Amino acid sequence: MAVYAMPSDSVFPPSQSSPWPPFRAGLRAAAGVPAFMLMCSLIGVGGLCRDIGYPVGAAILSTFLIWAGPAQVVLFGSLAAGVALPAIAIAISLSSVRFVPMCVSILPMMRRPNTPTWMMLILAHYVAVTAWVEGMRRLPPLPREERIPYFLGFANMVMFAAAVATGAGYFLIAQLPPPLAAGLLFTTPVYFTVALAAGARQLIDWLALGLGFASAPVVALYAPPGMDLLIGGVGMGTLAYVIHRIRRRMA
Amino acid sequence: MSDFLTSLSEATGGLWPYLVVILFGFLPSEIWRWASVFLVKGLDEDSEILVWVRAVATALLAGVVAKLLMTPSGALAVIPAYWRWGALGAGFLAFFLFRRSVMAGIVVGETILIGAGFLAR
Repeated sequence: MAVYAMPSDSVFPPSQSSPWPPFRAGLRAAAGVPAFMLMCSLIGVGGLCRDIGYPVGAAILSTFLIWAGPAQVVLFGSLAAGVALPAIAIAISLSSVRFVPMCVSILPMMRRPNTPTWMMLILAHYVAVTAWVEGMRRLPPLPREERIPYFLGFANMVMFAAAVATGAGYFLIAQLPPPLAAGLLFTTPVYFTVALAAGARQLIDWLALGLGFASAPVVALYAPPGMDLLIGGVGMGTLAYVIHRIRRRMA
Repeated sequence: MSDFLTSLSEATGGLWPYLVVILFGFLPSEIWRWASVFLVKGLDEDSEILVWVRAVATALLAGVVAKLLMTPSGALAVIPAYWRWGALGAGFLAFFLFRRSVMAGIVVGETILIGAGFLAR
């Protein structure tokens, strides 16, 4: 079942300010562009799921549990193509390695000395591109005690909207004219790009963004199948970091 | 292995699709999130290594975007490549022209892509 995490008194002792105002602020912040973008990008997953004869519940469950559009497309698309299940699991696991740098960079922003491990596991579950990109630029200005409820409000809102879209897509997707279907598939790349640009603050962010983007065609040619994103990400991220260090030393 | 999976599929009947989502979709991706929780233990928000990790995550995401446009799936594959890249570039420019508005970037990018789709028909 879906893990719906609500801030509770055990995590936020009564002596501190209420977690509900930041939780609601997170809900509101997500209710515009982020939720809409995620709805557009997950509406197609419902259609893929129907194509293989799975029930609508499996499509919705995949949004709550896997919570990664590309991995869900890999799952249902590979099932449609008759790929063996263990091979699908490996492909999904490879595509989800990207959560490691995302979780490792965002979780320390939210953690407090008394945050229990189970809460960290729940927070980690919500980490996906949208929550990461938006969280990295929205969390730092907030006081530390507001960050966890804000993030949970934000992430639950986008997750719920995405689940609704997945279910709707299960019944709708076949009737769309092809250019509009292309537009839906285009939401992910255009939203990621603009949101990454909105979150970029220093030279190192722009370097990582530009190098990761520009190197992709070359990496795709030479990297072993399934490893291209990982190799490009670690390689270009490291290069951006090295340039950032050299510049800082010279300054 | 495949015999075992086939018999498991038959034994679970209508629950099988849900089990597939959990066993072959959820678990293989969730282990990385869980592993991260243990990786960040003792890691401070201001530690230098996080600067590098953030750069890696950003470069990885940029790679995801490039890959989605290089090897598009379904209806997006029908749109000519220069329109896909052009629409992305226009959305990126619009983001800056409209005072860093995420909404403007998306609307301009999408309009150009969908428009190109109707023109190409």
